[in-house]
This record gives sequence, structure tokens and C-alpha cells, in this order.
Amino acid sequence: MNTRTFGLLLGAVVLIVILSIPVFGSPSAVDITFRTCSLIALAVSWNLMASAGLISLGHSAFFGLGGYVVILSANLLGMPFWISLIASLAAGALFGSGLALITGRLRGIYFAITTLAASEGLRVIAVMLPALTGGAKGAFLDAKYYPGTFTVNMGMSLAAAVTCLIAWRMSQSRIHYAFRAMRANEGAAQMLGIYPLKFRCAIMAVSGAVASLVGGIEAFHGGYLDPAIAFDLHITITSQIAPILGGIYTLSGPIIGAVATVFIGDATRLSLGHIEGVSLLVFGLILVFSILYLPQGIRGGLSDLWRRRSATAEPTKMAKP
Amino acid sequence: MDLLPQVFSDALLLAGLYTLMAVGLSLGFGVLRIINFAQGEMIMLGAYGAFWGLTLLGVDPIISLPVLVVAGFALGWLIFRGFVAKVLDAPHINQILLTFGLALAIQHIAIILWSGNARSATTAYATESAFVGDVLVVYSRLIAFAIATIMVVALIAWLRWSETGRATRAVAENRAAAALMGIDVDRIYAMSFGVSCALSVATGVVVSFILTITPFMGFPMLIKSIAIVILGGLGSIAGTVIGAFVLAFSETFVSYYVPDGAGWAEGIAFLLIIGILILRPRGILGQTVET
Amino acid sequence: MTPILELINIRVGYGQSVVLQDVSLNLREGEIVCLLGANGAGKTTTTRVVSGLLAPWAGEIRYAGENIATVPAHKRVELGICLSPEGRQVFPNFSVYENLLLGSFSKKARLRRTEMFDEVYGLFPRLAERRKQKAGLMSGGEQQMLAIGRALMGCPKLLMLDEPSLGLGPKIIIDVYEAVASIAKRGLSILFVEQNVQAALMIAHRGYVLANGHIAAEGTSAELRSSPLVQEAFLGKKPSRQDLSEVHRA
Repeated sequence: MNTRTFGLLLGAVVLIVILSIPVFGSPSAVDITFRTCSLIALAVSWNLMASAGLISLGHSAFFGLGGYVVILSANLLGMPFWISLIASLAAGALFGSGLALITGRLRGIYFAITTLAASEGLRVIAVMLPALTGGAKGAFLDAKYYPGTFTVNMGMSLAAAVTCLIAWRMSQSRIHYAFRAMRANEGAAQMLGIYPLKFRCAIMAVSGAVASLVGGIEAFHGGYLDPAIAFDLHITITSQIAPILGGIYTLSGPIIGAVATVFIGDATRLSLGHIEGVSLLVFGLILVFSILYLPQGIRGGLSDLWRRRSATAEPTKMAKP
Repeated sequence: MDLLPQVFSDALLLAGLYTLMAVGLSLGFGVLRIINFAQGEMIMLGAYGAFWGLTLLGVDPIISLPVLVVAGFALGWLIFRGFVAKVLDAPHINQILLTFGLALAIQHIAIILWSGNARSATTAYATESAFVGDVLVVYSRLIAFAIATIMVVALIAWLRWSETGRATRAVAENRAAAALMGIDVDRIYAMSFGVSCALSVATGVVVSFILTITPFMGFPMLIKSIAIVILGGLGSIAGTVIGAFVLAFSETFVSYYVPDGAGWAEGIAFLLIIGILILRPRGILGQTVET
Repeated sequence: MTPILELINIRVGYGQSVVLQDVSLNLREGEIVCLLGANGAGKTTTTRVVSGLLAPWAGEIRYAGENIATVPAHKRVELGICLSPEGRQVFPNFSVYENLLLGSFSKKARLRRTEMFDEVYGLFPRLAERRKQKAGLMSGGEQQMLAIGRALMGCPKLLMLDEPSLGLGPKIIIDVYEAVASIAKRGLSILFVEQNVQAALMIAHRGYVLANGHIAAEGTSAELRSSPLVQEAFLGKKPSRQDLSEVHRA
């Protein structure tokens, strides 16, 4: 069995698992799946931008925006679950492409700082407009719009599944050459016939829409939002740790990483949870040590192991008649 | 009563503090071309150092300042040798995420050690104040301003006239040419990182008797420092001073003259970052942004 | 007598591509040696290897008899190896005076700073006139003088000059070479890279010709001047003696 069919099979299994657990799973399984799916979608979305050379330090901007759009469109406009989610999706896409437009050709650290500023800026705005957002005290989702546990959980599973499918489609098409070119050198990408600004707008629209959708579903899940939750730096951190840990610029990396991150988070919470702050300390250390010692992430580490094993296995096979 | 003199004096005192806060980041970026996202945590550590010095040993922050500055330098040196040096030639993303991870780790070590509770270093002069004409001057702010000014002037003088300072500027301009002058570039790197951390620790000591101290205090100050450095132009110390004044004056004016201004003032830094990067990415005095 | 500089079978390159292949050369004390060769032949790479900016993959760099292949660049300055690099590389935001100060950063040079300032300003009076000027605002020729002066400030025993005449007008080239010749009279050893073959062979005692990363020829200036290889390589034809003298006059 070659790696491609193996990957496809694994992908199919993952899809089936995340889509069936909301139906059949126990409450704790459903909860873990919800959190994992949320992180999968965020991680894939972050990785999408990173793959085009756009380092986002402001994924919480999209997340929080989506959350507020959901709360406002449900509470103020009485929109039902699915419609509110579409609204948050659209808001994320708009904000993403808008950010792409105003950041123009900024790259690297300058782009990263702008996204960070955008997220923090939105947080200040949310605090300062209490009439709309409830200000620092936060806002509750009107209980009559809560669509039920199953719908929310299934929504998140679907979101993760669709996000992965989109990323998979992209990796299959020629677009992934465009990503690589953008990451290496935007000027050169332009010579290959990629129009960088358009490309960035498209990527950030997709990435923003996904992250915003996740924020929207999370808002339904939690039923409450305040600026500190909505624009929590934690969101940005976990959505970058997952791809880094799993394997940046790859399709399966962010997914593997998201599963690993949720697992590590739960494990530290269960074992050392009585110490305040320990789980984020662990995440910080993971980030540092992945960058220094595991630049290709778990996925790269595994395929290295695999290659070494098959390299040593090869000669024995040859020796057999 | 005319508010303007009061606004002006508040803004001036704040600007001095902001200059000290941002100048470490500016130096680190100018020499290493790396934005150290852990810079804010150095401020936090400095504030805790001053707090514990006062609480446990009864040593006034101003007295413990030199010791803490030296400790900050040593810590910066170690962080550089242990972590940052390894990503100097790596892609931007590795540098950003590495220092981001360090910031996260340091912040949460502080939470584990000292809990998330807010604390404050109550010195004798923390709450004293006096009227100069119509203007109310809070002593702690005045002292902070004085210390900040002394340190920034000392830094500029050191960069300008000392052998090592001159070498540091040379490395910032052209590291290969600097090596040809007999300058040990690696040592200058480690030293600049150390000095930049020491300056942030000094900032922490100074704010310890002005602000409440929490493990989370570093991040907003980091963002403001970034805004100042970008505003002044990355890598320019003179620009940083100007940037600090612009931020301090705009924040102070907004908080006095805009309804709910104190809250909106917190957003000015972000507005400036986005505005400057879009309109004039070189900042006021800096070099061209690599696109 | 041991040569002051001896390269033995140096092999080096960038990434995958090899630039120098088994390059060996030597320089005796007080000698002026030029490196000739077309663009991309490996001349600048040779100066980078000797100055320590580039570590050789294989081979030895002997300086006064000791292998210095693993000594970092800044320590080689302390040993007395100074380079005026390709493209001048002056510090544009520093004044002329500050550039020269940086040139004497090494501990040994710092002790003789005043003396060296006099010497450099004497050699290039232009630099003395412009000492407060920002280096980045000066003309190419002035920057070249500054780069050479800056290298001299390090009190070198071995001075390397990479294309000191590049981009200069004919009159300034003469100035620069007069300066180089007078520096050499102080007993300094000089290794310099030059594309202007005629000018180079006028002041060098000996020369090496690099081609595609190999030493293709070596000899005294007189030998090289009459070598068919040099004539072919640099003039694109086999010139007659008359052609050469015409070039010389031009």
C-alpha cells in the first residue's frame, strides 16, 4: 500500500469518526471531538495562510468576530442557527480579504504584527461598544436560539470535515505550487502568473471564513461571549501550535497536531491541572522545542523514522532469492 | 481650569517611560533583525523582581534596580545563547514563533510561581504628589521619568561613543563588514540581546511602583513597544524616542478629551501599528521594510 | 623563510556549487601579489576565505606558518589580516572618522590609533577633508579610499584589497595605486584582486591567474604580461606586442 492510498484511507476514517461521534458517542467523547474539531479547523485555516507565507498572530480576530456576529445576528435579528453561521462565515471572509487588501505586500514580521494589532484592536472595540456587545461584561446568547447539543456538535464536526476537504482539494490541484511560490518569493510568484494581492485576498478570505465559523459555533456552544474570551490570545496560540507540532505546510500535519494538542492539553489538565497556568506553560515549551528540534513536526519526524526503517529493511529484502 | 498644562505634563512623563519601554525592543531589532516577543515578559519579571525585593527584603525598587538590571542582562544573554542564536538564520516564522513560545512559557512560569493575583509595590513615594502651579505631579511618575531619561541617555551615549557601542551599531548596519573590523559579531549579538532584556527589566522595575503587577502585564506593554518602534522606524533609536512621544501624547490627549477616552486610548497603539504599516512602512526615521 | 600567507589545496563553495578547487598560492613578506581572473573565477571567494568570512571545505590556510583555517574572522583581524572587501562595504550612516575608528577596533590597533590616523590622512588627504561626512554620501572613489584606509587602520601585516579600482575614474585609479605602492614600501604584504590587468601588473611583483576556480597560471608580473594565456584570457585574442603597448598608452 503506498502512502497516497494510506493517506486517503486515513482521511476517510477520520471523517467517518468525527461525523459519527456526535451521533453515537458518549458525552465525554462528544466533548473531546468538539474541541478537537474546533482546533482542526482553526489549525488548517492557520496553516493555509502560513503556507502562502502569511504568518497570522491574529487568528483570534476571526474567531472573536465570528462569535460576535453569531450572538448579534441571533439576539438582535432573530436569525436561526444555520443562517447566523453563514453570517459569521461571510463576516470572516470579508474581514480576511479586507485585511489582505490593507496589508498589501507586507510580509513576514510586519504582516504578523498587523494581524496581532487587528485582533487586539477588535478586542478594544468590543470592550468600548457595550451597547452592541455588552462591553467587558459580555453578552449571553438568548436561550431560545440555542439549537440543541447535537446540532452544535454536528455543526463543528461538519465544519472540520469541510475545511479538511477544501484543504485536500487544494493540495490536489495546481494551487499548491502557487502556495509554494508565494511562500518563497512573492515577486517570483508574480512572474509565474500569480497575482499576489488577489491570491492573498482569496486565501485570507477562506482562512478567515473558517476561523470565523469556528468562533460562531463556539459561541453557540458556550452561549456567552466577552471580549477577553472572544479575542483570547490562546486561540491564536493553539491554532499555531497545532500545525507547528503536527507539521507545518502539510495537509495532515495540522490535523495530527490538533489531535496531539488536545491530547496534551487534556493530559496536563488531568495530571497537573491543580497548578494554575501549567497547560499554557507546556504549550509554550512545545512551541519552543518544536521550532528548535522538530522543524517538520510530528509528521516529518514519523516519515523520517519510516524512511530510516525502510532503508534498513531494504537490503534484507534484496538478499532473499 | 485649563487642562492643557496638566495633559502636557502627564503626556511628557508617560513619554519618558514609553521610551525606556520600547528602546530595548528597538535595539534588539536593530541589531538582530528579530522582534523579541518575550520582551514584555522581561518587563513583567523586572516588576516582580522589584516587588519581591521590596516585600521580602524591604529594599526599595530604586535600590534594587542595578542588581535587577544586571540579572536581566544575564538572563537575556542565556536566552540568546540557549534559544535565539539557533534561529538567527532561520525563516521569519521560526523566529516569531520561537520568541512567542518563550513569552508564553515565561508568563506561565510566573503564574505558577507567583499566581495570577494582582500585586503592587507600595513605596513611600508611590502615592505622594504635589501641585506645581495648576499641575498635579505624582512623585512616582516623576521618579520613573527621571530614571527612564537617565537610562535612555546612557544607552544613546554608549552606542554613540563607546568602542562596544560603536561596534554594535556597525553590526546592525553590516555584519560581514563588522567582522572584517575585528568585531566578534556573535558576542555583539548576545550582548545586544542582553542589554535589550536589561532595559526591559529596568522598565519593569520602574513601573512596579506605578502600575499593578500581574503575570499578564507584559503583553500589552509589548504591543505598545511594537507600535512605538514601528512608528519611529524599525532599528532607529532616535525614531523610537519620537515614536514614544507620539504614542504618549495621543493616548493622553484621547483619555482627557474623548468621552470614555481611557478605554479608547488603549486601542491607539493598534491603530498606529496598522496605520503606519499601511501608509508609511518605514516609520518616521527608519529603514525600508523588506516586502 | 616561511611565507606570510600560504593557501594549500583550498576547496570551497556556496551550497552545492564548488567555487575554488585545489587552490594553492603563497605570499612572502613585503610582497605585492595580484589575483587575476575573469568574473566568477573565484578571486573574491579567495579573499573571503583568507579573511575568514567563508570557511574552506578542505585545505589549509597558513599564516606565518600556522594553520588558521578554523580561526574566526574577527580574530584574524587581530592577527593582522585586513581586507578592503568587494563593493567597499563602508558603513554608510557612519562618518568617515567613525568608519576609520571602527577600522582600528582590534585591541592591537587601538593602541596605535593616533599614529594610524596620521598615516591614513597623509595617504588620502581627501579623507581628512571629509572626516565629518557620512560615508554613504561620498562618491565611489572616496568610498574606495575610505575602505582602504579603514583596512589600514587595523595595522595589517597582510592587506587584501578586492578590486580597489572598480568603478573609479582613470585619475582616481592612479591615485589609489600610487597609495597602494607607497603602502607597500612600508614592508606590508599585499594581496589584491584586480580585473584591470595592466594596472595590476604595473605594481604587483607577482600574480596568479584564476580560471574556473583553478590556478591557471602564476609568475612574476613580467612573465604574466607576456604570457599568451593572460593575453588570451583578458583581451579575448592573442595580441601582438604592439597592441599591448597601445592598450598601455590608452
